[in-house]
Amino acid sequence: MLTDYGYVGLFLIIAILFAVSMPLLPLTLSLLGLVPKKPNPIKTSTYECGVETIGKTWVQFNFRYYFYALLFVVFDILIVFLFPWATKLKQLGAGAFVAVLAFLLILMVGYIYAWMKRVLEWK
Amino acid sequence: MSLKLELLTPELSLLIFALLVILLDLGIKQKKVLAGVSILGLLVSGGFVLTLWGRESASAFNGMFLVDPFALFFKLLFLIAAGLVILASQDYVSKFARFQGEYYALILISAIGMMLLATTGELISIYIALELSSISLYILTGFLKDPKSSEAGLKYLLLGAVASATLLYGMALVFGLTGKTRLTEIAQAIQTIPLTTLLDSPALLLGIILLACGFGFKIACVPFQMWVPDVYEGAPTPITAYLSVASKAAGFAVIARFFYTTFGVPDWLSLNWGILFASLSAITMTLGNVIAIAQTNIKRMLGYSSIAQAGYLMVGLAAVGVASMADTLGRSGLLFFLASYTLTNLGAFIAIIAISNKIDSDLIDDYTGMGSRAPLLALGLTLCLISLIGLPPTAGLIAKIYIFNAGVHYGLLWLVVIGVINSCISAYYYLGVVKVMWLGAPVSEEKVPSSWALRIVLALTCLGVLVLGIIPGKFVQIAETAVRIFTS
Repeated sequence: MLTDYGYVGLFLIIAILFAVSMPLLPLTLSLLGLVPKKPNPIKTSTYECGVETIGKTWVQFNFRYYFYALLFVVFDILIVFLFPWATKLKQLGAGAFVAVLAFLLILMVGYIYAWMKRVLEWK
Repeated sequence: MSLKLELLTPELSLLIFALLVILLDLGIKQKKVLAGVSILGLLVSGGFVLTLWGRESASAFNGMFLVDPFALFFKLLFLIAAGLVILASQDYVSKFARFQGEYYALILISAIGMMLLATTGELISIYIALELSSISLYILTGFLKDPKSSEAGLKYLLLGAVASATLLYGMALVFGLTGKTRLTEIAQAIQTIPLTTLLDSPALLLGIILLACGFGFKIACVPFQMWVPDVYEGAPTPITAYLSVASKAAGFAVIARFFYTTFGVPDWLSLNWGILFASLSAITMTLGNVIAIAQTNIKRMLGYSSIAQAGYLMVGLAAVGVASMADTLGRSGLLFFLASYTLTNLGAFIAIIAISNKIDSDLIDDYTGMGSRAPLLALGLTLCLISLIGLPPTAGLIAKIYIFNAGVHYGLLWLVVIGVINSCISAYYYLGVVKVMWLGAPVSEEKVPSSWALRIVLALTCLGVLVLGIIPGKFVQIAETAVRIFTS
């Protein structure tokens, strides 16, 4: 028992040493003057390759995306549940059919609710 | 496998009515109808609970869903609480005219969650039921949409999420140790592990502690009480009432079943969590009562008072743990205390809803002279506060005697002494409100009118408080029947 904990402890010590030494390594090297520091605009840009970024990343999205995302998640999960049921439809029988129907009905109430509250309209 | 749908009728019927409320809300202009439909749903569900009462304990879905008197007792308690809250909201709902349908539907859905919580005997369904009731309550807390209410909702959501995570971690540890999710099977698995191995493995104890943390948030015991004052103050007052009784009762239901069935044997394990709850109980009631003294807002005061009440209730839990399998007093005491506390606290909140709605303030100072401005409301509030202290002739007295008796019986005298001292401390701030209401000079002569719905509900709860206090025999019997059989 104790040796088991000993191994874990050993791993912990190695992990901490590794984690501490890795950030310290470049610092020590640069202090020793082994690392040249020659910045230029291309080097310091956000992405060295790919498309230039335009504007700030803190932009506001239209809040309607939120409703769409919410509804999407719900019906996405519905599909996840329907697929395994549909492939085994015959073996599972009537009980499962009724259960899935009840499940669908509950979600349909949510769908009707969203519809009537005009969440699906993009204005 | 047969579905045994008749066992699920209380929940299913309530679900159907909740969905009906949502659909009706879309097409109906007269929103009072929705309250009627919700109440009807609660009555129908309550009827189904009563038909199941007295039958032999049964289980469905391979032991996930247990129908025993214990579960049925709590289902009835939640239905009553939800019904009273809906009736008490009648004046209040005008504050959020746009979303009344959602309001009622969410109350019903969270009631379903709590009913499931009291009735499941399996880790995953416990978690789902807990989330079902909590998520509805998060939304209801932020329902007013003013800064305070939104803050309360967000705080409740964030802290609740942390508590759920803790709970899940505890469940994961217990599951990891035993490989089972059903409570009875976990108990069997624990019993097959030799005692020495069990003593060597801190995983189980850690699991128990984490589970106690997760559930402790639900019952708002110290040190998981941080959310209580702010949430209680910010939430719509009927929802505060709902939170303080139904949500708390659900927490106690699941703790009692979970810890008793799963960790009841061997004795030392049971003793361990018994002592854990005993010490938490002592801290909880002391802290709740002492801080309540300093409060100037009546909703905050009742928030802290409900923390203190959770402390008294935990005396019952501690007795269950310490007595191990021999206990009956602790559990039935817990149930009786919960029933009396539900009625009392709801009554107090209903009176506050009626008064605050008209004077538009929750400050205790503004209650000055309420005895002459609204004598009936003040009388109701006084009765409920007296019951919260535990003075005759109210339910609070019998409940406290019952639960403290259990404590003394199983050797927790020190805890009971702390409990009695605390009751004396609590008398100070409860009677402070009573004094202000009856002896203070009224700020204005203007009467405080109240609607009939509120008056009837207040009268009902006060009647309940008195009946439980004067002729408790029948209800004690019910509580004793309810705990006699845990399905295993």
